Parts: sequence; C-alpha cells; structure tokens
Amino acid sequence: MLLEVRDLQVEFRTRDGVAKAVNGVSYGVDAGETLAVLGESGSGKSVTAQAVMGILDMPPGRITGGEILFRGKDVLKLKEEERRRIRGAGMAMIFQDALSALNPVLSVGDQLGEMFVVHRGMSKKAARAKAIELMERVRIPGAAQRVGDYPHQFSGGMRQRIMIAMALALEPALIIADEPTTALDVTVQAQVMDLLADLQREYHMGLILITHDLGVVADVADRIAVMYAGKIVESAPVRDIYKAPAHPYTRGLLDSIPRLDQKGQELYAIKGLPPNLMNIPPGCAFHPRCPMAQDVCRTDVPPLYEVSEDRGSACHFWRECLHG
Amino acid sequence: MGRYVVRRLLQMIPVFIGSTLLIFLMVNVMGDPIAGLCGERACDPATAAQLEKEFGLDKPVFPQQYLTYMGHLFTGDFGTAFNGQPVTELMASAFPPTIRLTIVAILFEIVIGITLGVFSGLRRGRPLDTGVLLGTLVVISVPTFVTGLLLQLLLGVQWHWIQPSVSPDATFSELIVPGLVLAAVSLAYVTRLTRTSVAENKRSDYVRTAVAKGLPRRRVVTRHLLRNSLIPVVTFIGADIGALMGGAILTERIFNIHGVGYQLYQGILRQNTQTVVGFVTILVLVFLIANLLVDLLYAVLDPRIRYV
Amino acid sequence: MSERPYDPERAIAPTGAGGAMDLAASEAETLEKTPGGPEGTGPAGKPRSLWSDAWRDLRRNPVFLISALVILFLVFISLWPSAIASGSPLKCDLSKAQEGSQPGAPFGYDGQGCNVYTRTVYGARTSVTVGVCATLGVAVLGSALGSLAGFFGGTSDSFLSRVTDIFFAIPVVLGGLVLLSVVTSNTVWPVIGFMVLLGWPQIARIARGSVITAKQNDYVQAARALGASNSRILVRHIAPNAVAPVIVVATIALGTFITLEATLSYLGVGLKPPNVSWGIDISAASPYIRNAPHALLWPSGALALTVLAFIMLGDAVRDALDPKLR
Repeated sequence: MLLEVRDLQVEFRTRDGVAKAVNGVSYGVDAGETLAVLGESGSGKSVTAQAVMGILDMPPGRITGGEILFRGKDVLKLKEEERRRIRGAGMAMIFQDALSALNPVLSVGDQLGEMFVVHRGMSKKAARAKAIELMERVRIPGAAQRVGDYPHQFSGGMRQRIMIAMALALEPALIIADEPTTALDVTVQAQVMDLLADLQREYHMGLILITHDLGVVADVADRIAVMYAGKIVESAPVRDIYKAPAHPYTRGLLDSIPRLDQKGQELYAIKGLPPNLMNIPPGCAFHPRCPMAQDVCRTDVPPLYEVSEDRGSACHFWRECLHG
Repeated sequence: MGRYVVRRLLQMIPVFIGSTLLIFLMVNVMGDPIAGLCGERACDPATAAQLEKEFGLDKPVFPQQYLTYMGHLFTGDFGTAFNGQPVTELMASAFPPTIRLTIVAILFEIVIGITLGVFSGLRRGRPLDTGVLLGTLVVISVPTFVTGLLLQLLLGVQWHWIQPSVSPDATFSELIVPGLVLAAVSLAYVTRLTRTSVAENKRSDYVRTAVAKGLPRRRVVTRHLLRNSLIPVVTFIGADIGALMGGAILTERIFNIHGVGYQLYQGILRQNTQTVVGFVTILVLVFLIANLLVDLLYAVLDPRIRYV
Repeated sequence: MSERPYDPERAIAPTGAGGAMDLAASEAETLEKTPGGPEGTGPAGKPRSLWSDAWRDLRRNPVFLISALVILFLVFISLWPSAIASGSPLKCDLSKAQEGSQPGAPFGYDGQGCNVYTRTVYGARTSVTVGVCATLGVAVLGSALGSLAGFFGGTSDSFLSRVTDIFFAIPVVLGGLVLLSVVTSNTVWPVIGFMVLLGWPQIARIARGSVITAKQNDYVQAARALGASNSRILVRHIAPNAVAPVIVVATIALGTFITLEATLSYLGVGLKPPNVSWGIDISAASPYIRNAPHALLWPSGALALTVLAFIMLGDAVRDALDPKLR
C-alpha cells in the first residue's frame, strides 16, 4: 500500500479547551487508486490530510497517536529534514483556493520552477523551461508567454491548473487534493476534475480527494471514506455506497443531493448541527442527529463493523441501514 | 505608470499650496515679518518702509503676499535670515547634518526594527515576542526628549561614552546616539508593524503551500514570508523619511546639532518669517516627494497593484 | 489618497510625537475587516456582541487591568492632588535647591528648590486635562467630519481627503512651535485647541474608512433597499461599526497628546510657569542634569508611565476588538 494511515489522532489546544479533530482515523490508498474522503466541514478530513503532508500548525495542533505509513515507513518518526524531502517530491497537495494558496508577489513561473531548483538542484533557467512544460501539460494556453505572469492575472480555473501543475511537478506518488474545485464555477469544475483524473491515470498516482461534493466523487473515486466528528463512519468501494449506504449519515448525505426524479418533493436535509469538537457526544457521535438512534447509540461507541470484505460501517444498526 | 506619476504630481500641487499657505498664515500671525529682516537691530523706518514695499507687506497676506513670496521662492530667493545671511546659505549648512542624522535613524529602523519584528513575529506568543511587544510599548511611551535627555545623561555625562553635544562637523559616528534617539519611536513602530505583518502572513495559505512544496524553512521564510510581510514596512519607513527630518527639532536641540530643526527653532524664537517658511516649504516638499516615491515603490513590490 | 487600491497597513508619521496615532490608526483599520461585527454570533450559536466578547477578554487581560488601575489612580490624583501631597507645588525654597530625598520630599528638590514630589503629583492634572479634552475634541470633530465624508462621498469626500493630506504634511511639533509661540494666554486651552486642529484629520480618516466599509455591507444595502432614510442608516447601521476603531485610536491618541503637551512645554511654547506640567519640570531640570538628575527622572518617569498606561489600554482594547490576531 502506498499510504496507510493507522488510528491517527489529532487535537487542537485552544484557549477555550481541547478540540479533538481526528479520533482514530485509518485509511489507505494504493498507487493509481483514488480515495474520496467525504464529510462536512469540521469532520477532520482536512486535518487528517494536513497531518499526512506534515503541514499541520503545531501548536496549536498536536498528533497524539497513530501512524502514517508512506511506502511502508512511518513518516511521523522521520526527522524534519527527511520529512521535507518527501513533501513535494513524494507526496504533494492541491489546495482549495488557488488565489490565496499561490504567493501573490511571485510569478507563477518562479513558483513552479522553485520545485526543481530546491528538490532537483536545477538552474533557474532550466527550472523556467520546466515550468513552461508543466503549464503546457495542464493545458494553459500560451504557457511560454504567461510564465512570468502573477497569480492574480489568471482566471480561477487557470489558477487551479497552476496549483495542479505545481503538485505534479516532481511526479509524486501521492497527491492530496483538498476540495480542488470548490472555489470554481460549475462549468470549470468539471474541466479541472477531468484534468486531474487524466493526469492521475497517466502518472499512476495515488489520489486522496477531499470533498463534500458527492457528485464529483461518483465520477472519479474508487473508494469512499465518509468522516464524521473526526472518525471514519463508513468506508466502501464507490459503487456499493451509491447502491446502498451502510451508515445513516452516508444515507443522509446521499438523500440531500437534489435528483431529477424527485422533482417537486422537499429536499432532504440532515437535521441538527455538526458536533462541537470540544464536547463530542458520548456513544456514537452521530446519535443526536440520527433518525435510527436507539439507547445503545447513546452509550456505546460503535466499532467499524465489517460489512463485507472491503467495506466497513461504524453503525450498530448497519444491517438495518443497508437493507432499509 | 507615467500617467499615474503625472496625476500624482498634479495632486501634490494643492497639498503643497495648502500646507505652505497654512504655515505662511501661521507665521504671519506669529509676528512682525519686518523685524527679522534687518538682523539683530531694529529696522530704521525708511528701510522698513522700503522692505515692506519690496516684499509687498503693505498688501493683504493672502493672496498677494503669499504669491510674492512663492514667486521669490521659485527663483531661488528664500529671503534673509535673522543674522543677515541668505536663508539659502543657512539651508546649505543646516541640511547636511540633518540628512546624515536621518540616514542614521533610518538605518536603525531597518536593521534593528525589522530584525526584531521578524523574530518576534515568527515566535508569536513566546517569551521573546512578549518581551519585544512590551519593550516597544515602553519605547513608544517615553517621549523623544526624555529618551534624548536620559541617554545624554547616561552615555554622555555618567559613562563618558559619547560627547554630550555634537561638534559642528556632526560626523556619522557622532550622530549614532542622536540618530537612535530620533529613530526610537519609529523603530518601535517598525518592529510592531513587522511583527504583526509576519505573524499574519505566517498563517497565510501561500506560506502553507510553500511548506507543502517541501521548501527548506529558511527559504519559506525569506522568499515567501518576508517578501510579502515587508511590503507595508518598507512603505512605512519610506514615508517616515520626511517625518524624521521634520521631527528632528527635539533631537537637534538636545544634542546641539546645528541642523534643520535647530535653525527652525532659532527662526521661530527670533520670529524670522523667511527662515521658518523657507525651511518648512522644503520639508513639505521632501515629505510629499517621499510619499510619492513610496507609492511608486508599492507597485514595484506588489505586482497586484496597477496604477492607472 | 483614495486612488491607492490596496494599502491597509499604510501609515504616515508626521513626527515622533504624532507617529503614535498614525500607526495605531493603521493597525486599527484592520478592525473593519473583522468578521462577526455587532451582529456576530458565538460558536455555541448564542448571540454575543463584539462588545461583550471584548469585555470578556479584557477582564482577563492583566495588561488591561494594570493600565486601567494606573489610569484610575491618575484621574484620582488629578482631581484631588492634595490627598497624597501636602503643600503647594509653587512653594519653593532656593536654600533647598538640588537637595536629594528627605522626609517630606521623597523625590528631593529641584534647581529652584521646589518639592519634586509635590510638583510631580500636581503635574498629573495638566496632563490628564490636556489628554482628555484634546481627545474628546478630536474624536467628536474627526468622527463627525469623517463619517459625513465617507457616507456622502463625492466632492465632500475628496475635499476632506485633500485637507487631511495638507494637515499631514505639516510636522506636528513644528506646527505647535509656530502657532503657540504667539499665544499669550498661559492656560491649557490654546494647547488643546492646537491639538484638536492638527489631530482631527487622523480620526476623520479612520471614521471615513469604517463608514465606507460599513456602507458596503449587505445589511446596509438591504436597509437602503427597504427605504430607510440616510440619517437612520447612519445612526442605526453605520455608526456602531465605526465606533470601535475610533475608540481604539482615540485611546492611544490620548497618550500621544500627553506626550505632545510635555514636548511643547519642554520647548517653551506649551504651558509656562506658574503652570505645573511635567514638560516644564523636565525642561527646568535639564540644566542641572549633572547634580540633580532626580529632578529630571521623577517627572520623566511619571510622564512615561502615564503615556504607557494609555497606550497599553488602547492596545489591549484593540486586541480584544480584533479577534483576528489571537
């Protein structure tokens, strides 16, 4: 397995208390595989990704337990310098908002070329040629002319392509894309997503796609991990989940997608609010919002039950959910 | 860019006229402008009448007198100082020490202010940062003349590290302590501004991106964090040049430096219109031009800014 | 300088003394951008205002508590100086000139044989009066003109911007020297008047900025669409947003005005004897700096402590009102 996260725990110490952002998350990605991590904001999906990349703000963040195995080695045990060499070269990240994620005062050519200068020891000139090549690969028209332009001179879609180019620069084995299309117009979203999927196939990379958009997931993902309150509540191949979810939270997410055949009906919404991470409900964290909750849900934390060989659900009543 | 500069220059005209007129009116309220023209002695009535005619003092202060004065000024005639010297000569001897003093002060702001600011900004909330924050507040709270007197007392009188008053040559080495005194308050502001800016940008998305790219920490800080954080600082320091030159009155008085502030103070004490208005006009010009340069510098430092 | 498109932190410091206000102002401008203004809600969903949040923070902030205590003490001794200092600050005995600390005169005597302790205590009144009156004047005049210009925009706005630029171009200490050197009245009022005259553009700039920002808020647009009158929008929706930055800048400006009064008195154009002012005392003590440094140090220390208290108070209030930098 290319990347394996085992029982990861992350907390944030703030003035108001300790927020448990990630509470024992485990997932894995193989080369060439796409794992979609799904969840509301605050579910811990981005924090997990930042921990994997090693870009968590510490403090206030703290990794209190677990392992992150990249190519079989626990990166949490590496020295900062070894860890740095992996970032960008072994695994790379695509951020949500390219306008703020790109440095406003450096040209995109400088920012792309920097990867080659730092990791490959290339000259500035050679790095610039590489930057143009990368911009062409992500299909930016007139790359040679635009290499000296600054991020604000590009459209949203083009900026996101530059982010993707930057992540691809050193052909890493793993790419983590944190809501890569959320900030874009709907029409551009599809283009950028397609580009990302194409490139992933071409380079046979592992891709972790963090999103809250189930529509995107259906097209590109192989597996889905649904997160809630810092835990994985359901993990399954994409087709299985769409056919029949094994967790009421997943069901709620699926039911809240507008569908043409349900025109005229009221759109479903999961009731209530996501839990306060400083005060996660006892038992199953989802029970206050769950339509199927029983007494046991208020007291016992559900383990990740094995639904089938490659599928798990953290619901005491996954059978009822799957068949009901 | 060219059009922007022209437009800014045009906009400077009303500000220039406004501030010089304001000072001109203030100075005219101040006292009899003739009194200063004949040197230390009082003018005899005939000379006074002649001077009055020459400077158009029998006319109303605004606009005739002001225009006459400005007319003289643009032909390089700044009038005569209280000691009979032309004001231009006074300026030629007064500006070099003040410029040197300002340079020393700016260097302090850059070297100490930015360094302290960067280090405390990178360690926000740690003891060093808290110390710097409190220290700068104290420096800001102690008035410049108190700082000056205290340093003079300690370094000059008690420990004999420096001469309590600066020689007429006012060399750079003599101006180190006065330059520090002049810079003190601005220095504290540069430190705080740098710190705020660094601390804010440190949490920005593009710094996170730079870390995610696997850049060494040093490169993240110098190339990504500082490039952005120092933009407001550089512009603050630029704008401070004009302010420091005008604010040197206290420092020059304490350390007996015969610069712009000293001459201005003398001019005001002796109610010499020519000296005061002449010097202030130059200071206002320096201030305006420094500000224009700062604005242009902004565009160079931050590509997002387009001047149209 | 409305044509500069992007300059949140930009600041111009006219002189050492005036600089404090300017930078404070530029730092305070960031307040306008903070999320969750008066309509904000806390994380628990319970509605909490900017002010009650700030107050909750301030009560736990030792810097705020200490500076507030110092200020309360200062106000107390400005009102009742005789409560802690006996005798008159004007009663001087040349035979005791430059003497050190002794019973009845813990701070010793100055060059004219005046009791330094008594004079330092009585000096607080001048500083506090000048600071408070000048700040009130500047705040009222500046925020009124600034918010009107920001709200109505157009010609009034660009006129105000130019006038502000003109005032900024004149170094404060220099303007004070020129203007006050002709004043014969030896009271605090010309000094205060001068400060208001040169200080208001700073507050006006802040108020104008906040009002322009607030004007663009959706709820103000909504109120306008619903047909609310100009005065109602200004009072109900815009003023509350503009108040916070003005208060912060005004608090810090108060310290600056105290410095400025002492500076002008030191230069001989502010207050003159028989007034009691720390600036006068420092100026009078500086020729005797070799033999009687105590006469210089005590009023200097009192001055610095007072200014520090106001600046720290303003700083703490700003931090409390600006959650961005936590």
